[in-house]
Amino acid sequence: MVQIIISSGGAGGLAQWVLLELQGEVEPRQSGRLAGSLLGDLHYTREGVPVLIVGHHILYGRVVQLEKPFAVLVKRGGGEAEPAELHAHYTVTALIKTKLLFKTRPKPIITNVPKKV
Amino acid sequence: MLKSTWGTAELCSCMQTFGSKMSSLMKLNVIIRGEKDEQAVLCSKDKTYDMKIADTSNMLLFIPGCKTPEQLNADQASCNIIHSQIAGFSNNYWELRRCRPKLKKLRKLLMEDPYEGPDSQNDQTLTISKYTTEDLLSLIQASEEEIMHQLQVIDACKIGGYWRILEFDYEMKLLNHVTQLIDSESWSLSKVPLRTCLEELGSLEPTEMIEHILLSYGRKYIDDGEVYFEMHEDKICRAIAQMLLQNAVKFNLSEFQEVWQQSVPEGMTTRLDQLKGLALLDRTSRPETISLLKVEDLPEDNQERFNSLFSIREKWTEEDITPYIQDLCAEKQTVGVLLTKYARSSMQNGVKVYNSRRPIS
Repeated sequence: MVQIIISSGGAGGLAQWVLLELQGEVEPRQSGRLAGSLLGDLHYTREGVPVLIVGHHILYGRVVQLEKPFAVLVKRGGGEAEPAELHAHYTVTALIKTKLLFKTRPKPIITNVPKKV
Repeated sequence: MLKSTWGTAELCSCMQTFGSKMSSLMKLNVIIRGEKDEQAVLCSKDKTYDMKIADTSNMLLFIPGCKTPEQLNADQASCNIIHSQIAGFSNNYWELRRCRPKLKKLRKLLMEDPYEGPDSQNDQTLTISKYTTEDLLSLIQASEEEIMHQLQVIDACKIGGYWRILEFDYEMKLLNHVTQLIDSESWSLSKVPLRTCLEELGSLEPTEMIEHILLSYGRKYIDDGEVYFEMHEDKICRAIAQMLLQNAVKFNLSEFQEVWQQSVPEGMTTRLDQLKGLALLDRTSRPETISLLKVEDLPEDNQERFNSLFSIREKWTEEDITPYIQDLCAEKQTVGVLLTKYARSSMQNGVKVYNSRRPIS
């Protein structure tokens, strides 16, 4: 039988991450690569509303406390083959209690308003 | 302000936990189990969960060290730009739902080689179909505690380090030794002394087996430093009924009831409700009949169980079908909910009956 072990990491506490949930897909500009590129800037208003600026769009979201927290799992051993290891092993890298949900339509930020001719 | 850049996304997955306290999540230690042809389940120390991959059209990005508004408010001084990397992203996550542990396989494995007693020739053979606790943990899709509990429920015992179920005839032989002794000594059924049983029966059977049968069919207690057993009348009557019923396909109900009462130990009273989940009565035939139908012989999957029941009998009353579907109920689920889902109801002679939703071949 396949047995995959999932365990929490070391003795120290687990890192707490945050989930960012966006509708649709994110594409790199001008067919570049995602890795190393800037996604955008995240701000919070005084009322605690998260605001995300991606490219020339602005998105308003909200903070959601997750009823069932997520555990982020990383497979041990990565890409290398480990013939000695009978069972696959995942480690819990972090826990996510909060998510920033952005589901409203992005608004374009217009910086140059043409004057009437 | 948080500037988020894409890191080289590590291969990571996201799993929705079972909503427990953070402190227990910190010490998470669970195992995913399954054979290639089984659906995966996740087992904690004492619970089992179905695993499903939940797809979402939304994109989930994991941001380590990202601060929430509350955390930032607490730190008024900083007005800086925090650079943070997106650790990974995903379109799906693993969803866990508490489920019934898949324990039917446990009985099936132990029935491969039931223990027939020390005199039996079979026991000297190979240990291929014998299972240790470790073996069972690697073969059954259930948590350790659920497996250990089920071993107790089915009256399994450890012989030579292996978990064994007694072969039914041998079990009845042991039970018979005990009930005959109770009768000849005129003991009360609720005060059967262990020591005397071992002394009197020790020459006939291994002492571990005598003690095992007492534990299976009685409740152990200590009185004035001595160990006694309070015998389970219902369980003993039920076992004797099984012994009688397995010899033929069907029995005349009234004849059976007479023979059954005569076969049980002195002082015990037989009742038909002792046979729930063991035997099926047919009150529509003339004469009324009774036949063996054990719930543990039926399929484990909900739909398959109902198909099986409806092919045995077309229409069931709730009273008759309940013992055969009770074990399918999930936490906080009732038999009524199952019937609504898997059966169709109608009225027959003023009584509500259930039949299959689909034609049974």
